[in-house]
Amino acid sequence: MSLLTVHGMRKRHGERLLFEIDTLAIDAATGYVLTGVNGAGKSTLLRMLAGLERCDACTVEFDGKHLPLHPYPAALRRAIVFVHQHPIMFSTSVFHNIAYGLLARGDSRRSVGAVVEAAMRWAGVEHLRDTEPSRLSGGEKQRVALARARVLQPRLLLLDEPTANLDGPAREQVMSLIPTLLDAGGSVVMACHDRDLIGLPGIHRLKLRDGRLEYR
Amino acid sequence: MSLLDAIAHAFTLLFSGDEALWRIVWVSLKTSILGLLLAAPPAVFLGYVIAMHRFPGRRIAVWLAQAALSLPTVLIGLLLYLLLSRRGPMGGLEWLFSQQGVILGQMVIGMPVLLAFTLAAVQAADPRYAETAIAHGASRWRVMTTVLHEARYGVMAAVISGFGRVISEVGCALMVGGNIEGETRTITTAIALETSKGEFAQGIALGIVLVSLALVMNGALVLLQGEAHTAGGRL
Repeated sequence: MSLLTVHGMRKRHGERLLFEIDTLAIDAATGYVLTGVNGAGKSTLLRMLAGLERCDACTVEFDGKHLPLHPYPAALRRAIVFVHQHPIMFSTSVFHNIAYGLLARGDSRRSVGAVVEAAMRWAGVEHLRDTEPSRLSGGEKQRVALARARVLQPRLLLLDEPTANLDGPAREQVMSLIPTLLDAGGSVVMACHDRDLIGLPGIHRLKLRDGRLEYR
Repeated sequence: MSLLDAIAHAFTLLFSGDEALWRIVWVSLKTSILGLLLAAPPAVFLGYVIAMHRFPGRRIAVWLAQAALSLPTVLIGLLLYLLLSRRGPMGGLEWLFSQQGVILGQMVIGMPVLLAFTLAAVQAADPRYAETAIAHGASRWRVMTTVLHEARYGVMAAVISGFGRVISEVGCALMVGGNIEGETRTITTAIALETSKGEFAQGIALGIVLVSLALVMNGALVLLQGEAHTAGGRL
């Protein structure tokens, strides 16, 4: 079952056409990896889907409605969450970082506590609850960022190279969270080069090559 | 009176709690702080908007904001004098030669400093703060408060710099306030007046207060810079 279909995705850098994708279809409750060489436009494509880069000519079919992708529809803003390759932490605490989206959408401080505590346990960061985020390692930041996105129960989660620049146990810890994100029932699109992520069972592969999107 | 006598007398005035002197300090602090408080919300908001949004004429807005930093305060005084004078468009307010007039002047002088420094602080903030806020469903207002919170050291530096500018200006306060004793006589206008009369003691005493304020304010700025460095923030 289709979650969303985007038409007319096209990106130029000056004279150079980065990509031109007639149709990008994302199914519900499905995992995808988006591969391609460096500079192919993987991050740009995810950022367009997240409304962080303009896509003037794009249209999207979502929940039975045809909408332009710019200005970014409020329905998509509630449904889609994007996580940067190097997630940035707000200078509050780990707890408040994870609670950020819940509070932003109007949940009360009292009601978010249990949800955030559960997300911290899921990400294995409960011992960092009141830690200043500037003291976190790269792997811990990535796990907090995944928890921050997960509490919003997005219907589509966009992850930009979630294991890039991580190695050893930090990478393994992030890797172990990815399948459970898929189990939550939403769809996930990950831009990545990581062979282990690409090889996860049940993951579909999208490849950006020469400005075109290939389904594999 | 020799210079040494004047300095000795200045310290006597300072530590004897001379009412006239401390009244001048109070008027200065009151008008400067109120002017800044009035200037800060619109200036910080405009600085944020100009830094974060792309719109036609944005570069002109940045240019004007930065150019306004170097506007002579005496010129701002002249413009406000014309506006507030009895025949001026704001004459009905009767703010000329009143504390309200001085506060308005301080507000107009402080605003470009606050705006330009906030603009620079927000521009220097990592764009992922705003993007992360947006991507997690924050409203425009919440994105703004989030980004300003992350750029808070720079915004506080803007406020401190603005205070330094308004408390030390003389031209506008003199023209719009009229240097009325007990009402609109500020530290700087009093120094100018006392010096012109050859009465150096009070001028030196007020100068010591002004330098002390500058030291305290710049000390706070240095502390903020240290905090920003420790927290990984930017000024």
